[in-house]
Amino acid sequence: MSMRELVTGGAACAVPGSSSSSSNPLGALANALIGSSSKTQGVLKEIPNATAASPHPQFYSHAADPVAALPGSELDRPFLQSNAQGSDFIRGFRAADANGFADAWEEIQRQPPFDPLAAPAPPIQPTLDGPPQRVLSSFLHSFVDSSRSGVPLHPTPLPLLGLSQGDKQCIRDRSSIMARHIFADRSEEFINAQVNALLSSLEIENDIHARGPMPGRFRELEDYWNESQGVMKPGAHAADGWVTEFSQNRIHHGDPDTWAHSFEQQHGAGGWASEFEQEQAQLTSVDQMRGGNMQSLAAIQQTRMLAHTLSQNGDPKFQNSKFLQFVSKMSRGELIIDDNQVKPASENWATEYQQQYNRGASWADEFAQNEVFRGPDQWANEFGAERLQQESVDDQWVNEFSKLHVDDWAEEFGRQVGEGTLGDGSSDWANSYDEFLNEQIAAKQRSDASRGVYVFSDMNPYVGHPNPLKEGQELFRKGLLSEAVLALEAEVMKNPENAEGWRLLGITHAENDDDQQAIAAMMRAQEADPTNLEVLLALGVSHTNELEQSAALKYLYGWLRHHPKYGTLAPPELADSLYYADVARLFNEAAQMSPEDADVHIVLGVLYNLSREYDKAIASFQTALKLKPNDYSLWNKLGATQANSVQSADAILAYQQALDLKPNYVRAWANMGISYANQGMYEESIRYYVRALAMNPKADNAWQYLRISLSCVSRNDMVEACDSRNLEVLQKEFPL
Amino acid sequence: MPVFKTPFNGYSVRFSPFYESRLAVATAQNFGILGNGRVHVIDLASSGPVINELIAFDTADGVYDVAWSESHDSVLVAAVADGSMKVYDTALPPQANPVRSLKEHAREVHGLDYNPTRRDSFLSASWDDSVKLWTLDRPASLRTFREHAYCVYSVAWNPKHADVFASASGDCTVRIWDVREPGSTMIIPGHEHEILSCDWNKYDECLIATASVDKSIKIWDVRNYRVPVSVLNGHGYAVRKIKFSPHRRNLLVSCSYDMTVCLWDFMVEDALVGRYDHHTEFAVGVDLSVLVDGLMASTGWDELVYVWQQGMDPRAA
Repeated sequence: MSMRELVTGGAACAVPGSSSSSSNPLGALANALIGSSSKTQGVLKEIPNATAASPHPQFYSHAADPVAALPGSELDRPFLQSNAQGSDFIRGFRAADANGFADAWEEIQRQPPFDPLAAPAPPIQPTLDGPPQRVLSSFLHSFVDSSRSGVPLHPTPLPLLGLSQGDKQCIRDRSSIMARHIFADRSEEFINAQVNALLSSLEIENDIHARGPMPGRFRELEDYWNESQGVMKPGAHAADGWVTEFSQNRIHHGDPDTWAHSFEQQHGAGGWASEFEQEQAQLTSVDQMRGGNMQSLAAIQQTRMLAHTLSQNGDPKFQNSKFLQFVSKMSRGELIIDDNQVKPASENWATEYQQQYNRGASWADEFAQNEVFRGPDQWANEFGAERLQQESVDDQWVNEFSKLHVDDWAEEFGRQVGEGTLGDGSSDWANSYDEFLNEQIAAKQRSDASRGVYVFSDMNPYVGHPNPLKEGQELFRKGLLSEAVLALEAEVMKNPENAEGWRLLGITHAENDDDQQAIAAMMRAQEADPTNLEVLLALGVSHTNELEQSAALKYLYGWLRHHPKYGTLAPPELADSLYYADVARLFNEAAQMSPEDADVHIVLGVLYNLSREYDKAIASFQTALKLKPNDYSLWNKLGATQANSVQSADAILAYQQALDLKPNYVRAWANMGISYANQGMYEESIRYYVRALAMNPKADNAWQYLRISLSCVSRNDMVEACDSRNLEVLQKEFPL
Repeated sequence: MPVFKTPFNGYSVRFSPFYESRLAVATAQNFGILGNGRVHVIDLASSGPVINELIAFDTADGVYDVAWSESHDSVLVAAVADGSMKVYDTALPPQANPVRSLKEHAREVHGLDYNPTRRDSFLSASWDDSVKLWTLDRPASLRTFREHAYCVYSVAWNPKHADVFASASGDCTVRIWDVREPGSTMIIPGHEHEILSCDWNKYDECLIATASVDKSIKIWDVRNYRVPVSVLNGHGYAVRKIKFSPHRRNLLVSCSYDMTVCLWDFMVEDALVGRYDHHTEFAVGVDLSVLVDGLMASTGWDELVYVWQQGMDPRAA
């Protein structure tokens, strides 16, 4: 497992420990400043606390209280209602000894918090918790840039940046406010879309209402309207198709049996399930649309609603006022953008939406109420299973099916369609629609949680191969990584307990720049062989990449504990409460014990990456490289660490070494690109990304980096090729 | 003319009121959206187009603005995006700085102005919709002015009336305040878009200029603010900062998200006197020297600080 994510780390984050970046010695500075101007010295003495500690540090002297003389200062203090001047007040205050306030006031005065010498100000500690990486910087750059090009920003799933909640809040609030200055020419819709794209890329939930715009200053209605028309395009989402299909069959809703029969006649019994599955697949693509397509459901809903409202009324004035209403509602927070969804806080909105979409509405309503929606796969599987058991018994099928209340559902559906409108159920509808959406979100989260489940490719030609492991090893050696993956998958399907097969599969995925699969495979390898050192090390590295310190420590500690030489160093009781310092100490001991063991130095390098002590990490990797100069993945680790400590130029040399040793090391190609991008050489970076992608078009991260670089050099023409993953065009345009 | 490269994106630049060659620059990482900040104190070399850094102070969040003390030549105040203000004394060693940390604003502090007449107090404008009045010798603010309905971006003391100031806000108004009064004394609904900056004319204490997201600059007479004295169009994007000349009555300078710095004479028909397009990213900070007639400085998100004489090309070496 190499350390690609590490590469993305920290290039710009290092704030020097000293508060001044200038190398000027302080003495020279003081001479320059004080020596040059005797006036300065004189002035200095006047500054309270700027001189050496005075025996009785005070905020101000009450005899000549400048504050008291400052008019208006009393206005802020409610207990100063008397029209006395502040100084009088303070004198009176002090005179009244019995007053508890006075004590408190004295207390405050006794504390010398502002005396820099007596109580030195805490050193400026850069409190940016997450690594503010160059990737982030580049991405924000493309966000800012998009104001000029007018190209909508697409959400780009970025690697884990380790942003803290506070960081996220900052990004959310500040980008919302700034976007309204930067994109002044654009419509509110565009601005929201831009900000949403930014936030969803950074996986920042819009759950706390970001600082919206001020109401009552929307003059560019025309633009807004045009813009929103453009936004509508992705609107034909899957649910509609489903509903349409459904409604074609609704004539038979009176009798569940007939309905089922005719449905079956039309689609065939088996076809129904597969069709449903298909629809479900499309439904999940709605989910992807939330992240993958900048418009998000919210935007679609807004614009549809707008379209409807505007089409209902011929009077342009009325249109505008309605429109204004909506926009100002939006801005007043009556429509809440919650988790990238617009939540209707108003009845009107719901009604309007419903009038247009009552079919979808009732569908969603019933669907949610009946809890049919248990997750697409389950439902379909269950259905399929039942189908198998009760083949050809149509009545039973219908019965089974009606247990799921589908007949009720059909009835309900028909009734509502018959009525044409939904009458007063509007808020119910809104609620259940929300429920439905929440379900979807939950389903997505579940799938995120189940990360670590290995996904096999279908249509594997190596299934049935007599010795897929050997074949896989051979392919891996030749550098045909994608082929090697297939062979190794065949191996672990045949022998699920083969730790070596899983391990090799994990390494292949890692080198092929597919982390998710790599981690999943390594976890299976660990299951099969919990003490395999290489597996433990790989897992430690990958969790370091993911910035999951405790998990990383667990595996690295496991490595030490199961190592035949160092196992004695690691007391087993430590495993319960692992602290970074302990683990680092143990590994340092191990390194002293056998300085010739490259592996220990490698682990130390990884550990130092975890604590962001990049200089030490580089030293460790360099030591390891002296012992193992032909380890290409080690060169890659060194490069990644150098990139992290703002030494992108050195990093490129290290990656070059890795590539000399293994020319089709996709990961190193992609890392080269990142390092060039870090240095602002976006053109160069593009060529490397394209090269990496030519070797493995499935490397999603590389596609995203490529997109960022393309937008940084304003190659919007090529962004399209990137989005459609048209490698041919890209390779032609950016040969290496 | 000299150029200074900052590691972070420039946010504000201010000439020292004491030394003609000295400036302070406020910078923020990642366009101020996330990351650290740094205040640079820089000095123009007496010979050659060189800018030296005298000292720099790091902050844990972006620095949006900086203001020199009008009473102590080595003291400056920085407005930090975490809602705090840091007071630095360049005469003290770095470990003794900041000499003050003032934290009351709940949100980003975006604008500062040091009182040039009384010289003992300064104002802060914040995205928490409030303005606060401070002196260096008090740990807490003296007063909070809370009337604006949206972010306050900028504040400016009146050059003649020591207790009067103006504040510009995203609620599309400029408010005029007298610190002796409990509330604002005047509300000018100056633009239909957010107002990002305001400044008083240094020769006519009744004239105030406002700059807005609507790309325009308007000059108002506070005695009759129903119609603006003048409207200056020419910027292609939101106007970020404006500053009246300390030396010429009718001259003002502006910078904008269209990446240019513009010089205007608001009394003549062709108001645009000069346009400088030396920045390659948004130009967000601009200042005019009080001590040297025609000396200008600007900074932007291209991480560069330019100092040049009016009429010259900022990029000419």
